Amino acid sequence: MQGFPERGGPGPGPVPNDLAHLQATMHTIELACASIQMHINPAAAEATILSLCQSPQPYQACQFILENSQVPDARFQAAAAIRDAAIREWGFLTADDRRSLLSFCLSFVMQHASSKEGFVLAKVSSVAAQLMKRGWLDTTALEKEAFFNQVNQAVLGIHGLDVQFTGVNFLESLVSEFSPSTSSAMGLPREFHEQCRRSLEIDYLKMFYCWARDAALSVTNRIVESKSEVPEVKVCNAALRLMLQILNWDFHLNNNSTKTSINVFSAGARLDIDSSKRSECTLVQPGPAWRDVLISSGHIGWLVNLYAALRQKFSREGYWLDCPIAVSARKLIVQFCSLTGTIFLSDNGQMHEHHLLQLLSGIIEWIDPPEAVAKAIGCGKSESEMLDGCRALLSIANVTTPFVFDQLLMSIRPFGTLTLLSTLMCEVVKVLMSTYPEEETWSWEARDILLDTWTALLVPLDSTGGNAMLPPEGINAAGNLFALIVESELKAAASSALTDDVDGDYLQSSISAMDERLSSYALIARAAIHVAIPLLTRLFSERFARLNQGRGIIDPTETLEEVYSLLLIAGHVLADEGEGETPLVPYAIQTYFTDNMGADEHPVIVLSSSIIGFAEQSLDPKMRASVFSPRLLEAVIWFFARWSCTYLMNPEEVRETHSQDHQLQSQQLRKGLHSFFREHNQGKLVLDIIVRVSVTTLLSYPGEKDLQALTCYQLLHALVREKHICVHLVSLDSWRNLANAFANEKSLFLLDLAHQRSLAQTLVHSASGLINSEASNQYVRDLMGHMATYLGELSSKNDLKSVAQQPDIILLVSCVLERLRGVATASEPRTQKAIYELGFSVMNPILVLLEVYKHESAVVYLLLKFVVAWVNGQISYLEAHETAIVVDFCMRLLQLYSSHNIGKISVSLSSSLLSEAKTEKYKDLRALLQLLSSLCSKDMVDFSSDSIETQGTNISQVVYFGLHIVTPLISLDLLKYPKLCHDYFALLSHLLEVYPETVAQLNSEAFAHVLGTLDFGLHHQDAEIINMCLRSLKALASYHYKETASGKTGLGLHAAGRKDSGGNLQEGILSQFLRSLLQLLLFEDYSPDLVGSAADALLPLILCEQGLYQRLGNELIERQANPTLRSRLVNALQSLISANQLSSTLDRINYQRFRKNLNNFLIEVRGFLRTM
Amino acid sequence: MSDSEEHHFESKADAGASKTYPQQAGTIRKNGYIVIKSRPCKVVEVSTSKTGKHGHAKCHFVGIDIFNGKKLEDIVPSSHNCDVPHVNRTDYQLIDISEDGFVSLLTENGNTKDDLRLPTDDSLLSQIKDGFADGKDLVVTVMSAMGEEQICALKDIGPKN
Repeated sequence: MQGFPERGGPGPGPVPNDLAHLQATMHTIELACASIQMHINPAAAEATILSLCQSPQPYQACQFILENSQVPDARFQAAAAIRDAAIREWGFLTADDRRSLLSFCLSFVMQHASSKEGFVLAKVSSVAAQLMKRGWLDTTALEKEAFFNQVNQAVLGIHGLDVQFTGVNFLESLVSEFSPSTSSAMGLPREFHEQCRRSLEIDYLKMFYCWARDAALSVTNRIVESKSEVPEVKVCNAALRLMLQILNWDFHLNNNSTKTSINVFSAGARLDIDSSKRSECTLVQPGPAWRDVLISSGHIGWLVNLYAALRQKFSREGYWLDCPIAVSARKLIVQFCSLTGTIFLSDNGQMHEHHLLQLLSGIIEWIDPPEAVAKAIGCGKSESEMLDGCRALLSIANVTTPFVFDQLLMSIRPFGTLTLLSTLMCEVVKVLMSTYPEEETWSWEARDILLDTWTALLVPLDSTGGNAMLPPEGINAAGNLFALIVESELKAAASSALTDDVDGDYLQSSISAMDERLSSYALIARAAIHVAIPLLTRLFSERFARLNQGRGIIDPTETLEEVYSLLLIAGHVLADEGEGETPLVPYAIQTYFTDNMGADEHPVIVLSSSIIGFAEQSLDPKMRASVFSPRLLEAVIWFFARWSCTYLMNPEEVRETHSQDHQLQSQQLRKGLHSFFREHNQGKLVLDIIVRVSVTTLLSYPGEKDLQALTCYQLLHALVREKHICVHLVSLDSWRNLANAFANEKSLFLLDLAHQRSLAQTLVHSASGLINSEASNQYVRDLMGHMATYLGELSSKNDLKSVAQQPDIILLVSCVLERLRGVATASEPRTQKAIYELGFSVMNPILVLLEVYKHESAVVYLLLKFVVAWVNGQISYLEAHETAIVVDFCMRLLQLYSSHNIGKISVSLSSSLLSEAKTEKYKDLRALLQLLSSLCSKDMVDFSSDSIETQGTNISQVVYFGLHIVTPLISLDLLKYPKLCHDYFALLSHLLEVYPETVAQLNSEAFAHVLGTLDFGLHHQDAEIINMCLRSLKALASYHYKETASGKTGLGLHAAGRKDSGGNLQEGILSQFLRSLLQLLLFEDYSPDLVGSAADALLPLILCEQGLYQRLGNELIERQANPTLRSRLVNALQSLISANQLSSTLDRINYQRFRKNLNNFLIEVRGFLRTM
Repeated sequence: MSDSEEHHFESKADAGASKTYPQQAGTIRKNGYIVIKSRPCKVVEVSTSKTGKHGHAKCHFVGIDIFNGKKLEDIVPSSHNCDVPHVNRTDYQLIDISEDGFVSLLTENGNTKDDLRLPTDDSLLSQIKDGFADGKDLVVTVMSAMGEEQICALKDIGPKN
């Protein structure tokens, strides 16, 4: 164990406490700080400071520096050193030591409260908070009370303003230290932090809040009455900040108990929506215990009045809109808007409404009248108050229904809150329009907040998908707003049409950036569907007409960009993102109807038909040339993909979810909307148009990869996902033409390779629409037969070697391989047979090509990827004899690959070519590992009729043999690629866990290599990798232990020590790992989450190698000079293997006990073992 | 395959005659080859952009000269053709390294090939020379394109083979 002697060696002796020495230390640290500041040899200076932190018991020196040094930086570092040392050595500090350190820190901040170096005070204060927390669970309530009494005195202002300020600040550090998200690491289990959090929340948080409130109250009058800034402002600001911080606390207790045991099935849906749509805004739910403090005591009134008084002073000296106290007060007011839950009486929301009204009456001054506010900001007024007003509206929207939200304002204004929200946002949009496209301004932020507010109000809250309807006034407000939004988007589109900023202009990125915004627009539009959709229809037809009239005369670019933008908006308004599921027709659209409306007059049908009709024109070459730019078609394809998921051939009759409470007429209309695009109506016609437009993008837009990617990945993939659509697809002439072109036409070989793969996959998937499995298999054969034959013919050519290197042949081979891979990934039971035959027929050609293209890494990779995909798709279906063939093929492939690459060195002048070569190798190996993993899965999932053993195939041996071929190619250098590393260890740990017996049969060289990588993985940075290695170790050791216990050999020679070539005795592998694992656990850095799995590995290792464990333990003990520590170590080592009735069996209970033991052991001894 | 593919399959007639082949820019991928400024390059980066918002796609290639390691760049409309070099790689057993900087290689049919110069770069040179001096059996891979050739890889095939 290499680390032991160094650590145990004679450390620096106890610090002599004579004054001279202390002064010398102080001087050194001061010097180091100065040299860091002036940037003279900062590394050495940092080392000096670090040595102070790491020296044992540096407290005296640190306290001396804090009290005497004139250099603030040195004092700061001294405080930090106290913190580090105390947290590390906490375990063996006496109770008195701990207390005195804490009270030193606290009295230091109190005494120096008026000092100018705020950062030193803040640091010491936070050190005090951390020490307090570290000892929190061991301190009695009485001790805490005494301590907090002191703090309370300070906070009450008995010792003057500065001390009051310091006291409040200390509480702020304390609360932040106890809040899990802001706590500092202490090397303790999470449980500890959790217990501290609970304890503080139950017993102290409310008390602190009251203190903060009282501190603020005590200075309010002075502030309000004074004419200019007074020192009390500082205290008041700190108190407001503390209150805000406490209200930000993540309250767990006190809440209604359902919160902790949520009924997943009923409450889940709503909570999910809440959390996804409302991530920005956290709800404040402190529970009924806080009612007296926050609600009944007139606290809100005080706060609102305080800010109102501050507003009056803004023109005066010392106060302005963004002065700290104003900012804090506004933040607190906004935070109060989020207050909700059981803190309010269940009186039908009256108490809550009253609370909100009280807040709103203050907030309204910040945002009303919107026009004037926007104008003032335009003239240079700070926008922060207005933005805070918007945030407050957002918070209120999050805790109310649209109806309540709208009503709130009615009592103080002649209009509802929704109207205010709409006018406010209109103002913001107007500002946006006038400034666009300049850089980001406040109006962007305001727009985003207000959009979130609309989303919060409009997003459907219950699982039925319905939302409370807006009041009529609100609907009009939404309609007006949507019209203005569309106008501004169109203007923005037109003005950006001619700018040529290349980056970020692609549909994908622009959609995902705009997606959230667009879906908020869609919600607003759907709220006012009667105006929004006709508006869109009108705007579309205007622009279509303009395009048609202006063809060849006017530059259409601006109009194209407007249509592009309209398509995105319309797509969002009409349909939701499916995310892999079939999205429903949005509720607002489903339920919308008016009297006397025929089925084909539904505005959604009108709008959809108009867009589809427009898109159909792209089939005309002339129109294509003059109007349909690649970018415009991208939007069309995107729209089709989104729209067809929802509307095209909607399979069910009427979705019955909401039918009870609606009238018959609405049902019929909905039926009309649903059936309009179903098979017997327009559905098949529309499907045909969509397919023909898709084919056009593939054939007539050479080299437009982005457009073709959308067609392949979004549109066509979405179409073949639904079986009922496939049924119609395969009967369409246009689809047959596509399949035919794919098999035969040269132009489709010019698509991007990945697109060809995807297209192959899509076409094979569509075969599921055929009448039976026979037809589906035949479809696949017809589609791919030619290409398989081609590979066969090519590979049997005599002059293959010279022909194969021609670029055109390489391209063709690559295309065919990618297509085969696409087909292979589409394996389904229905087409499995044909795909197996397809792969079977190219097995030999593949091996030939692997030989021929051994220097052409790009082709090699495609070959491997095809085999991986094919085996992965097929393996679970294969019968025993087929499995034997496939396994044999894979092994030949592995051996061939290995023989080409082992010992090969690339020679090149270019470092980037060399690193490319390395990356290629990494990708190959990763594919090979995936191949082995797929083979492995045969033992887990097997649908074949007979057992594979009948053919004498043993999967575990096969995979080990494969690993044996592959591992020599995987150098430790290559394991630095995270994905390869992950795959490798995942496979290894799987093998060791499932087939430990096979590993024993490996020859010693292969075994050593496997174990060498395991040791490498154990010291990896990635916790998951370490975890997998620990699992492997556990598997190995427990296998050996169980086997030997029953009298078998277990790992046999591998576990026993042996002599190496030099005659030195080599330890057995289990001994080696016992050493390195102990070394890791005791002396190195690792994530505390790993302790559990380390325990699982350590237990069997100790059981296997008890003698060595004793020896190592004794070594540790002997090296410990300090007698108290020594006895602690002896006890700890003893109880590690005996406490909790630990026995020497490897069952679940025993593993659990040992986990506990190891945790206690590490807490007990790691602190001093690592320092001394 | 259809007729349109035939000329591809039967193009062996003039195999080796052509030094470059035309290929649509959109089909050239990372890790493929391309001719930029009359030099054969390996493509290390491809990106596409548009000529104006509603214009057509163009490909931006970054290539590394496979012989001298220099970086070259080119922009070509996606639908246009580029030249792709015919890059050939042949394995030879290394027989000897002569003092004047030439290597002697054993070809498949038993002849020797003596016209290939060693690389001038010191580190590459030492990689080859050291391996040879160690008495290992080395197979070298010689890459040729557009009338130039160079050793691009070596492989140790064990002490006896």
